[in-house]
Amino acid sequence: MIDVMSNPRSRDPIFGGVLLAIAIIIPFLDPGIYFVKQLTLLFIWTAAVTQWNLVFGVAGIWTLAHMVIFATGGYGTAMIGLYLDWSLWVGLPIAALCAIFISYLIGVATVRLRGPYVAVLTLAIAVAIYALILSDSECFTYDELVCYQFSGGINGLHRFGDFGFKELLGFKQRFFGDYYLALAVLAFGTAFVIAVVRSPFGLAFRGLRDNEKYSRSRGISFTKYQILVFVMSGFFTGLAGGVYAGFFKTMGSSVVGMPLLLYLFTMMIVGGRGYIWGPILGCGLLMLVDDLLRTQAEWRTVVFAVIIIVVVLFMRFGLAGLIEQLWHRYVVQFFRLRREERERSMAAK
Amino acid sequence: MVCKECSGVNTLLDIIISGLTVGALYAVGTVALSVLWGNLGMLNMAHGAMLGIGGYSSYVLVNSFDLPWWLGLPCGMAGGLVVGLLLYYLIVRWMFEKPEFTLNIIIATIGVALLFESLTVNFFGGQGQKQPFIFEGFIRLGKSTLPYQTLVIIGASVVLMLIVGGILRRTNMGLVIRASAQDRAAASLMGVPTRKVMAQVMALAGVVTAVSGVMVTSLTTLHPSVGHDPMLRALIFCCVAGLGNINGAVYVAFALGLFEMTIQYTVAAQFGLPTVLGLVILLLIWRPEGLFGHARVSHS
Repeated sequence: MIDVMSNPRSRDPIFGGVLLAIAIIIPFLDPGIYFVKQLTLLFIWTAAVTQWNLVFGVAGIWTLAHMVIFATGGYGTAMIGLYLDWSLWVGLPIAALCAIFISYLIGVATVRLRGPYVAVLTLAIAVAIYALILSDSECFTYDELVCYQFSGGINGLHRFGDFGFKELLGFKQRFFGDYYLALAVLAFGTAFVIAVVRSPFGLAFRGLRDNEKYSRSRGISFTKYQILVFVMSGFFTGLAGGVYAGFFKTMGSSVVGMPLLLYLFTMMIVGGRGYIWGPILGCGLLMLVDDLLRTQAEWRTVVFAVIIIVVVLFMRFGLAGLIEQLWHRYVVQFFRLRREERERSMAAK
Repeated sequence: MVCKECSGVNTLLDIIISGLTVGALYAVGTVALSVLWGNLGMLNMAHGAMLGIGGYSSYVLVNSFDLPWWLGLPCGMAGGLVVGLLLYYLIVRWMFEKPEFTLNIIIATIGVALLFESLTVNFFGGQGQKQPFIFEGFIRLGKSTLPYQTLVIIGASVVLMLIVGGILRRTNMGLVIRASAQDRAAASLMGVPTRKVMAQVMALAGVVTAVSGVMVTSLTTLHPSVGHDPMLRALIFCCVAGLGNINGAVYVAFALGLFEMTIQYTVAAQFGLPTVLGLVILLLIWRPEGLFGHARVSHS
């Protein structure tokens, strides 16, 4: 067992499978609606952060415009439901394709930039989108003289329906539908990221991140792989956004706002950027802290800020990095020593 | 601020006055960011927080000790000095020689910004306060007015930039700062105490940012997220000029400040920021190293 666990190729699927099995069982244990809803939200954030981590951590492109892609998925799903009156199940994949396109555009826009320039440009994109949504005041539709903007403006979009889990599963079980949908997006998204990281693409991404000049001199095209990593991260981010829209039955500009961006950013950093299980650990920890501080809401951001500073000062690789270090130092080392001892005693015989 | 029945001349005058005002404010901010980038290779995402510190220390010190209003500026500067030094000794110092400093300091300063903002919300509340550093009165120029405050801001910004430029070009401290910005290892071998220089640079940036904070908050109000907007602009202008290029950043700040005000007066106020951001995005796609920058190899 331990030999299996020390090998990352088999470790990731096993770890993921165990987590998935636990997540599938949880609703059958009657945990209460609040818990299920919080977990659903956790899955949505983790799904988005996992894809962000692919670009930010694995490929090392410091994009801060990831929530724009998320919002494309969410707003796309909501608008298709609202203006075309189509089912969200149809809107969701279409919106995810739109998200890929937006992600592609962001990738193209940043392809000649490096490092901090990427961070500033993508931050500018995010703020511009936020400002545009907020400044949208032109009436697009009327409902009994109440004016509704095309993008929802300050009020956001409402009444575009949901995934219809109430009819499908019954009133009592309706939250489980969103739960399993979010879980599916997270599970497939994570499996996709694992597959990408292990494929030659993953090697190219990491190569360009760690030493761009060397990788390029070995014939790896920066332009091609940068755009590719944005395209790859777009689909599941868009899906997560669409599930968010269906889950909350409302879509507002706050998804591209600063507080949420920083919240998810903290999740990624605390979890460990570049590690496949970092986003899950980070999201889990932060949502736990968030939940514990429910009664002292004003200290929530203070605690997050302290966490992010402590993490960046003392554990640069985040929770996932720390766990891996400890695992290597104690568990793997222990079993290696024992194996060597056994081999030595065999040789002595 | 927008006058409804303005003639063309007055609109032009308004655009120029408000463009110069915001340009001067942004220019001061970009100077602080540029100095930090040039010397430490540090993108200061806590710029907005330092700006807020300037505003709040002026507010707190002037109000609690009943000081005259004009002492707001030195009080703000003192706050900025303290924060700059604290940031260096508590955070930058411990990360500087470790790998991936460029990214880690971005993350750490984002954390600092969050900390500042949430603490000020807790202690001062989310609503706006009035900055004491206000110079009342105005001059009439035809149908538009020119508040003294505007003159003070433009004047103070220009004086401040001249002082910073003087320090960097003429004094011994500036020589040392420029030397270690060019090549830290070589400067260190020549006997320059590079760590002390970094602390000085942080303190200088803190003071400059705090001054811009006092002035920004004197035009609007003092609230916890007051630094967001000026920081975003300062970051963008620095990037458009080419990170680390102080003169270029100042030109860009004035040019884009005038451009933004033109949009606000001629099209609509709410399109000012999105248009500037759109223009900046196009500029950066066209000239990735900035308008005045040239391609260089990163030293990380």
